Amino acid sequence: MAENILVVGGGPAGLNAAVMLAELGVNVSLVERDSFLGGNPKKFKYKFLFPDMQPADNVIGELIKKAETGGNIKVYYSSEISDFKENGKKFDVTIKTADKNELKTFDSVIVSTGFEHFDPARDAKYSYQLFDDVIDIKDLERMMGEDNFVRPSNGQPPKNVAFILCVGSRDRHVGNQYCSRVCCTVSVKQAIELREHFPACEVYIFYMDIRTYGFFEDLYWKAMEEHDVQIVKGRIAEITSGPNNTVVCKGEDTLLRGPFEIPFDMVVLASGMEGGPQSSEISKKLGIGLDEHGFLKPENVTLSPFKSNRDGVFLAGACTGPKAISDSITEGAAAAMNAYTYAVKNK
Amino acid sequence: MEYNEKGVSIVPSEFKKEIFEEARKDFRYEEYVRGCLNCGVCTGGCPPHRFFDFSPRIVLQNMKSKDPELIWTMMDEYIWACFQCFTCAMICPFLNSPGGIIAILREIAVRRGFESARKVLKPYSRVLLKLTAYGNQLSPDMIQPDFFPDWGPTIGYASTDLAVKRKAIPMPTLQVTNLAWDVAPETMKELYEIFDESGVFKIIESVDPSLYEIIQDIVDDVRSS
Ligand SMILES: Cc1cc2nc3c(=O)[nH]c(=O)nc-3n(C[C@H](O)[C@H](O)[C@H](O)COP(=O)(O)OP(=O)(O)OC[C@H]3O[C@@H](n4cnc5c(N)ncnc54)[C@H](O)[C@@H]3O)c2cc1C
Ligand code: SF4
Ligand code: SF4
Ligand code: SF4
Repeated sequence: MAENILVVGGGPAGLNAAVMLAELGVNVSLVERDSFLGGNPKKFKYKFLFPDMQPADNVIGELIKKAETGGNIKVYYSSEISDFKENGKKFDVTIKTADKNELKTFDSVIVSTGFEHFDPARDAKYSYQLFDDVIDIKDLERMMGEDNFVRPSNGQPPKNVAFILCVGSRDRHVGNQYCSRVCCTVSVKQAIELREHFPACEVYIFYMDIRTYGFFEDLYWKAMEEHDVQIVKGRIAEITSGPNNTVVCKGEDTLLRGPFEIPFDMVVLASGMEGGPQSSEISKKLGIGLDEHGFLKPENVTLSPFKSNRDGVFLAGACTGPKAISDSITEGAAAAMNAYTYAVKNK
Repeated sequence: MEYNEKGVSIVPSEFKKEIFEEARKDFRYEEYVRGCLNCGVCTGGCPPHRFFDFSPRIVLQNMKSKDPELIWTMMDEYIWACFQCFTCAMICPFLNSPGGIIAILREIAVRRGFESARKVLKPYSRVLLKLTAYGNQLSPDMIQPDFFPDWGPTIGYASTDLAVKRKAIPMPTLQVTNLAWDVAPETMKELYEIFDESGVFKIIESVDPSLYEIIQDIVDDVRSS
């Protein structure tokens, strides 16, 4: 009889885990809290992905198609785990869907519940939700995905746009000391897209450090050399209203100008990634560790980043910390391999 | 002040080191100086940064450098440019307090009677007198045109006929112009104890010896009454 494996969360990590397990002949139950698969990239309609600007559909759409048509994968939409019990080496799990509860026994479990976007309204200095023209990278991603690429306040094309990095990351005030890893690259990517869309629009990026790590650095150089994006060192201290329906960014240019107050048509906040309420919920429900950053805690961050501290429960994707889609997909495969091995050994 | 005619610093480096050590030993130091991202948020929100060559980021970076020379450069004018509004401490992502560092450095300058401290505190000598000798802060007779240029043209009128104006206030007042409120001699004696114990009188003596003498005359009078 085939193995039964549960995957919780249908983002890039969970999708890839499910698809790989199904290819091995495993019966996969994929439980997704939303009414659709694809995770954050789908929810916020990412259009083109860094690093190579390929259409998101090539990646996310492809994975969803495989999961929905590949057989062997039973997808539970708008569902969650309502009860979780150990049963020898196996697990008795109740899956709660919109209209019923289903009890199933699984040989192993993969948790891929992902991340939440930091809500910039939590940091008052950015005036998010106070001014229509202050948005964040996920809002811009969605606006671009919907081909609605204009100033929210008046529907006009912007004359100048500021990106502000590290919003909700690297800041004790909001409780997040860590770096969210992808927001530098997302911002640089979006800056390029803005310049391509509106060649007359000036684009500034205000940074403390540009962390376009590894090959992502190519995009950063491209933004400067081919798209004339202005890169200014200094975090923004305050955003306030300016003349002619603008928003003013106040800060210190720590290398060149000293104090500045620059009016912009639009400000884009590079909000970071958080473990979200789902991480602590799933940690409690499944009895697996939560780390001090609010993400799920691997048994050993270096040796086995895809293993939880509980035998038979594996981790994949952004639920263990900020990361790019490629890393999430890689971890989905690693967790699938480990969950499969565990299931086969204990049958 | 600290250079000879050849432009060589005449303040011995040992002394600068001593100043730095004094700051570092302050009980607040560890709380005020943590990591620093050099992000400039503190400076972006700092009001005097708009008017002077002054930056709380530099204050914190100088402190973190542990270089007594850099810290010494701030002891003259630099530390007096701060408004002590603590906006920097409110917004620093590391929860540093550049304004707090400034407070520590200012206290050193005052305790040691540095020239910069004397210059800055001079205009406050009347307030210091009222506060330490009488337990009052601002009394009606201190309202004089020379001391309140920022009140504009109405200060001339505001500073005349103080006794009558005071009486015209529609609530019980002391009816005098040299005090804002009445402080019992017993309370004053206790205050003097506190100023003695905490070293406030000593600080005044080192920054403004003549003011110190005036205050001590009054203190002696009250103590012997
Ligand atoms: C603005 C922005 C742009 C980005 N652009 C790129 C890019 O261009 N290229 C790139 O490589 N990376 C990009 N990333 C990173 C990328 O979004 C993540 O790497 C990826 O989404 C992580 O995948 P995941 O499956 O781990 O998590 P998620 O995408 O968060 O998916 C998790 C899934 O789990 C579900 N879930 C959560 N809790 C439960 C629960 N309790 N029960 C059931 N289901 C649950 C969620 O509904 C969701 O569907 C970007 C990130 C941001 C913030
Ligand atoms: S990736 Fe960049 S913007 Fe995001 S937290 Fe790290 S340094 Fe800040
Ligand atoms: S306390 Fe001083 S350094 Fe800090 S913001 Fe206010 S004026 Fe600037
Ligand atoms: S805000 Fe804090 S971290 Fe940033 S430069 Fe100022 S002291 Fe350093």
